[in-house]
Amino acid sequence: MSDFNRDELRRALRDTADHRRDALGPIVEATRGLNFTRSLSRRRFFIAGGATVSFAALVAACGGSESAGIARLGDAPTPNKLVEADVTDIALLRTATSLEHNAIFVYEAVARAGVLSGDAAEIAKRFLDDHRSHAEATASLTTGLGGTAYSKPNPRLQSIYIDPALTLILGDEETGVPATDDPAADVLALAYALETIAGATYQAYVPLLDDKSLRAAAMGIGDQEARHAALLGVVLNPGRLVSSMGLPIAAEYQEDTDSPAAAYASPSAFGTQAPVPVTLGAPGETGTRTTVNLETPSLNSMIYEYLDNEG
Amino acid sequence: MSTSPVSSTSDKVVATPPRRPTSADIELLAFAQSAELSARDLYEQAVAAGAGGDQVASLVALGAHHDAYAQSLSALLGTDAPRERNDVLFSALTTGFGPDTESMALAAHGLENTLVVTHTDLLGLLEGTEGAALVASILIGESRHCAAMAALAGKSPVSDIDLFLKTSEVDSLAPKA
Repeated sequence: MSDFNRDELRRALRDTADHRRDALGPIVEATRGLNFTRSLSRRRFFIAGGATVSFAALVAACGGSESAGIARLGDAPTPNKLVEADVTDIALLRTATSLEHNAIFVYEAVARAGVLSGDAAEIAKRFLDDHRSHAEATASLTTGLGGTAYSKPNPRLQSIYIDPALTLILGDEETGVPATDDPAADVLALAYALETIAGATYQAYVPLLDDKSLRAAAMGIGDQEARHAALLGVVLNPGRLVSSMGLPIAAEYQEDTDSPAAAYASPSAFGTQAPVPVTLGAPGETGTRTTVNLETPSLNSMIYEYLDNEG
Repeated sequence: MSTSPVSSTSDKVVATPPRRPTSADIELLAFAQSAELSARDLYEQAVAAGAGGDQVASLVALGAHHDAYAQSLSALLGTDAPRERNDVLFSALTTGFGPDTESMALAAHGLENTLVVTHTDLLGLLEGTEGAALVASILIGESRHCAAMAALAGKSPVSDIDLFLKTSEVDSLAPKA
């Protein structure tokens, strides 16, 4: 500091004072003549202004609801608390029950419409009875675990698969959807896909069930669903009971096509959880028919218990 | 499928099952593999004897299915897999898997039903979810085999519907817990 030039220091202080005067001059000018109860020196102006800004910031930080506070765009909505929706054994059993009621709905609708006759009608009636028994069994398992049994079709599967499929088969005058040309064949094709998916659902639940005694109970029903599908495979494709697709067997035993048939008694070695396509309905303008891919219930199709309180 | 190690279903507290087979599971799955290899050999014997008629390709495919089950169990068990058939089971059924398609199909229908019942029992015993999932997928395949064999035996899906749909009154082969 000893070598600091005093003249330079004075110049710097003078320049600063000039700068402040230039900057504050318009403010002082603007407030001149206002009716302040006390005279407002530049020093008081700064003290008062600083205090005002600090107080406003404090109020804003404290979230005073009545304060205009610092300007902002929009209000953040209060977040909804998400429901705890664990995939419990009860949720799995309730979903299985709901799927049984989807199947019951289909067979009852088909019976009401009189689409099937003869042997096909007898088979469908037997399947309907079996699904009613399965629904009772899964409902009983649900209550056995302390849960509330479900007693309706799965609403999501109903809206995305069952209702559209039945509309394609039976037609709908209101929406101008024509009935299919061969409703009995379409019903059997839909039933084949539905039964395959039902068996696949119980299979999918085996590693999800915490209680291993429930796995055997679930697959006791899954076994029946798979047999339903296989019986329909026999009816729909009696010429080839077991598909050769993907099997390492001699060429002479392979099917003479690259495309699998729509149905087999045994379409693959293992039960799969792949979607099952089913082609339904009258041909459209281009001559093609609609293909619906049925899938096992996903997490957003589960019948969680909390849904009972949501109407 | 709860994420916590212990889950509660009402007043019942159940530990989340392990994924990999336990030592007890390994014995059960090894037994299942031996049974599958017996089934494969029985179908191959029937085809070699001339059974099947116009559905011989289906019988060949069924033999391949059982071989695939055995291979999948090997993949799960690794060096613990026995990789050999159950001779007691094979010997008990071998006479049924001869050249006559109808009688062979009925014998195969009985075999597949036995395997379904056995695997259902295994599912109540297995702890590990990977083994249980595999056995469940095999069980679905074999359930469908039952209906296929009922058809091959010339049975009607209407008047003989129980042969297609009902699990026969057969004894499980599953080892006791």
